[in-house]
Amino acid sequence: MINKKDLDKLLKIVEKPGRYIGGELNSVNKGEGADLTRFCFAFPDTYEIGMSYLGLQILYGVLNREDDIFCERVFSPALDMEEKMRELKIPLFTLETKTPIREMDFVGFTLQYEMSYTNILNILDLGGIPLTSLERGENDPIIVAGGPCAFNPEPLADIVDVFMIGDGEELIVTLCKKHAQWKATGTGKQEFFKSISGIEGIYIPSFYEFEYNEDGTIKEMKKLYAGAPDSIQKSIISDIEGAFFPEHAIVPFIEVVHDRSVVETFRGCTRGCRFCQAGMIYRPVRERSKEKIETLAKNMLLNSGHEELSLLSLSTSDHSEFESLATELMGMCKENNVSLSLPSLRLDSFSFKVLQEIQGYKKSGLTFAPEAGSQRLRDVVNKNITEENIYSSVEQALELGWSNIKLYFMVGLPTETTADLDGIVEIAKKIVELNYKINGRKGGRFNVTVSISNFVPKAHTPFQWHGQNTAEEFFQKHIHIKDQLRSIRGITFNYHHADTSILEAVFARGDRRVGKPLIEAFRLGCRFDGWSEHFNYKLWCQAFENTHVDMDFYTARERNYDEILPWDHIDSAVTKEFLILENEKAKAAALTEDCRFGCVACGVNQRVKCEMEGINE
Amino acid sequence: MNRYVLKFSKTGYLKYISHLDMLRLFKRTFKRVGIKLAYSQGFNPHPKMGFGQPLSLGYESNGEILEFETPDRLQVDEILETMNQVMPEGIRLLLCKEIPLEGKALAAITEFAEYTIALPYKGVHLEEMQVKDFMDQEKILVKKLNKKKELVDLDIKGLIQELSFNEEEGQLLIFAKLDAGSVSNLSPELLIKGLADFYRLSYDRSEVEVTRENIIFAKNLQF
Repeated sequence: MINKKDLDKLLKIVEKPGRYIGGELNSVNKGEGADLTRFCFAFPDTYEIGMSYLGLQILYGVLNREDDIFCERVFSPALDMEEKMRELKIPLFTLETKTPIREMDFVGFTLQYEMSYTNILNILDLGGIPLTSLERGENDPIIVAGGPCAFNPEPLADIVDVFMIGDGEELIVTLCKKHAQWKATGTGKQEFFKSISGIEGIYIPSFYEFEYNEDGTIKEMKKLYAGAPDSIQKSIISDIEGAFFPEHAIVPFIEVVHDRSVVETFRGCTRGCRFCQAGMIYRPVRERSKEKIETLAKNMLLNSGHEELSLLSLSTSDHSEFESLATELMGMCKENNVSLSLPSLRLDSFSFKVLQEIQGYKKSGLTFAPEAGSQRLRDVVNKNITEENIYSSVEQALELGWSNIKLYFMVGLPTETTADLDGIVEIAKKIVELNYKINGRKGGRFNVTVSISNFVPKAHTPFQWHGQNTAEEFFQKHIHIKDQLRSIRGITFNYHHADTSILEAVFARGDRRVGKPLIEAFRLGCRFDGWSEHFNYKLWCQAFENTHVDMDFYTARERNYDEILPWDHIDSAVTKEFLILENEKAKAAALTEDCRFGCVACGVNQRVKCEMEGINE
Repeated sequence: MNRYVLKFSKTGYLKYISHLDMLRLFKRTFKRVGIKLAYSQGFNPHPKMGFGQPLSLGYESNGEILEFETPDRLQVDEILETMNQVMPEGIRLLLCKEIPLEGKALAAITEFAEYTIALPYKGVHLEEMQVKDFMDQEKILVKKLNKKKELVDLDIKGLIQELSFNEEEGQLLIFAKLDAGSVSNLSPELLIKGLADFYRLSYDRSEVEVTRENIIFAKNLQF
């Protein structure tokens, strides 16, 4: 345990010391008992961001429900805290018991975003834990990681000992139980790894090695331990209704990004947008019943005192009982003076009725994500939204008094042409005109925000073979759109910097060899790369140069179907045949229907039952 | 409508929770234990609750005051017990009392606050530190940043109501009753500076612990 006097010294001089103290409502402190399996959940960003993440609450709760497991938390300290900790030589500690994280059995990272990888290294370093598996000894904690980015684990293969692929709430408990059994045997870590390597969802990178062709592509993946599986099937919880849900979620003292109770309504998505990794790797769709959702919501509000409730899923309106669920929740919230927030609604007439009710006169912006500027390109990415859909929704919104419309697009999508970019401008223009038509030229304040992000091809999607645009191409596209939008009043234009998207792409589809530049970038001082104010592209370029790794090989290069991809041994349960078929359909701008209208043969139902398959047939 | 006062202590790591965060904590706690707060009228209604005097980040307290209005009639003993059950470690409710609905907000009639300041005690002889010497100065000037961010001299003499020194476990304990509130206010930080200058105390601010002991309102109203 860190000396309280030393800690006080730190906490009195840093900004927002409340980030580091723990002790919040519903947090758990089981002490430092030697018979506990001690797990430290590490979120590689600040407290405010990490505490708004539902996955943390789920895993924290599911572990601490077990008597013999104690899960604590750690977050990336802000830069001022890091500086002081290094100066005063105070190692990074857990919030609950203020134990240095190097004394834990496990330190487990959630991989939400590629640009958080240097923060993982920083947490290890501040904790006094060697960065790579090779350098760590028997007494160092076991480093585990899970989350969406674990579906392409290779960039972190030298750093992480054990990956957990897929749904974590059962797997993580199994992992800890296995650890306790192994600990009793008194054998080395290797024996532990062997004992878990066959478990569904567990991937031990040190049991494999890669050989490469002269052109840099993968020649083959070799097993170094015969007992390791050839491919790693993701873990799937089949009974989401019965699965653990954190009804006693931790309530932060300080203001975090989302100060609210959140209920996950379903996992997975049936829409099949071809760029979307979440839409592929979280299959199949598993719904909680309306009754269950309502009970959870009620209990969470009661146990937290929160004044806001929100629902979480990949597409809120797609819940099969959405209308009655929304109506009933609205009633419940009104009765209890709680505000309800429903993200990612499909804007149909029912949604407008709901929004009108829950937002009243305090109307926030309305958001549309057409993703692409032309019908052709929307068909390519399988985004089932037409311009008529958008315009009729906007018209309704304007009539009901909304004055802020946000539009999300991507640039750099496969097959994109200048006409598609012009289409983005066209849509924004038409919406401004619609406003004049309905509210008149002097109709008061009105704004359309056009937000452009850069397409990053992701592993396990139909677009995983595509080359990404270069930074220069992205830049030209931003300028092309910006120039045309500049002259129009009432339009705000935002875009993401290309540099971040390029690096994100390197790690999204990188192999084991990109681990070196990652560690080098950290050594050079890269941190918080997801924060534009901290991101330093020059340092990153330096890191790749120093380690002789070519970014373009991972980003701009088009792959062919025969190439062994770095994540081919990770089985998301969606077949490669399906991804190829979808990519071919994309090239022909052919749509694939939502699989609620009939199975589209993605392969998931070969492993588990698909509840939603063809229910609207 | 009914109006109540809660007195509570704030100790340990909770001293790193800000004033605004405390407001949110109490708001959520009222909600959890089922106490409805009265809301102000108007376009942007807000709950009728407020602290006697904000407590600086990093200070502990044995006597914080919160007042609130509610349409409910509360059993004060019961409230104390239920709320204490759900409060985090570090917050302890000491008293709950009904007060007349009429009258200004407590924050508007705050007059004094009492503090204990603990300074690591190195090489100073208490017998040589006479309070009288300090207080007998014609002016007690300390440097303070004004609103234009300029350093100016401020005379704090008239803002110190009581002052005494003590020694405990190698620490110098300073007890001070200072002006507090909107009319006249003295932050303990300035007093610490003034004392350190006068007695030539060397200290590291991060080792100084300040605890507020009590808040005193107009007409010597205390809880």
